[in-house]
Amino acid sequence: MTFYESFEQVPGIFPYQPPSPPGPGNDPDRRENPDNEPNKERTKVVGKTKSSMEAVKEMGATQIPEVKSNIHCLTIVGQIEGHLVLPPQNKTTKYEHMIPQLVALEQNPEVEGVLIVLNTVGGDVEAGLAIAEIISSMSKPTVSVVLGGGHSIGVPIAVATDYAFIAETASMTIHPIRLTGLVIGVPQTYEYLDKMQDRVVRFVTAHSAITEEKFRELMFRTGELARDIGTVLIGQDAVECGLINEVGGMQQALARLKNLIEERKTRNEVPLQ
Amino acid sequence: MILYTPMQLELVLAGLEQMTHHPERATTVHGVPALVRKVGGREELVQLLSTNPADYLRGDLYPGAPVKPDD
Repeated sequence: MTFYESFEQVPGIFPYQPPSPPGPGNDPDRRENPDNEPNKERTKVVGKTKSSMEAVKEMGATQIPEVKSNIHCLTIVGQIEGHLVLPPQNKTTKYEHMIPQLVALEQNPEVEGVLIVLNTVGGDVEAGLAIAEIISSMSKPTVSVVLGGGHSIGVPIAVATDYAFIAETASMTIHPIRLTGLVIGVPQTYEYLDKMQDRVVRFVTAHSAITEEKFRELMFRTGELARDIGTVLIGQDAVECGLINEVGGMQQALARLKNLIEERKTRNEVPLQ
Repeated sequence: MILYTPMQLELVLAGLEQMTHHPERATTVHGVPALVRKVGGREELVQLLSTNPADYLRGDLYPGAPVKPDD
């Protein structure tokens, strides 16, 4: 008597009897030579190995699985580069690339909303205003989040969206426009700068709850900035003066964007007659 | 051109005179018209010249991306 036979026999449980003996030939789905089978539709599997290896080599990034998102996220970081190519120590956002991107987002039916993430120190007035104008004229819902900083020309971009958030610790510097060019006639230069400043003031007051008087007061306040006149608004301050809608981060911004997308969908639905 | 930034202009514009200009040429990359330049033996994209806005959302074509022009 072997060791196993010494145990009590339970029919169907012990000893175990497989329903069919193991080995090839019993599985009806088994195909001996699938490559040579005639009249079988073949599916081609294309790997992403090469491009993901390239991505690791070039950017130190790995390929992530593609998930279709109904929103797109645009980040505006560093200096907003405009008419002049800045020296390489600057981190820049190139407006000539961003503007067609925004056009594509507006046109693409798969994109339902745009999230703008800002951490900028300002930059070219015209390029910044161009981005702000194109964001404000989009028909799709847009939400901005100021993380870190949204200074100078970052302010009109932040307020250009349908709803603006600022992180609790993020700051926004509001200060007058400074001259970078040549001064030939002082009154003319002053007039010109004043006009440039008016463009920014007009845009910000038209797209946020701040009044022109309040914005100009913040712009020309003395004693807050070491090298300039102006004001630094941190988180809640920006909300209190009406510039930004709410203090919040990613969670609030995405929830708000989702709400705006839903609102737009219900608005666009044609009522049944 | 007016820079509107709280950063010191000397810092932003430092090295402007030393910037080397790499000659740029207009070509196509994967069929998309673009400006490219040679930097250190390889070519990188300077700017897309395409009029198709969808090209600007491509993950492989952005300013500074290493590219292989079609010609």
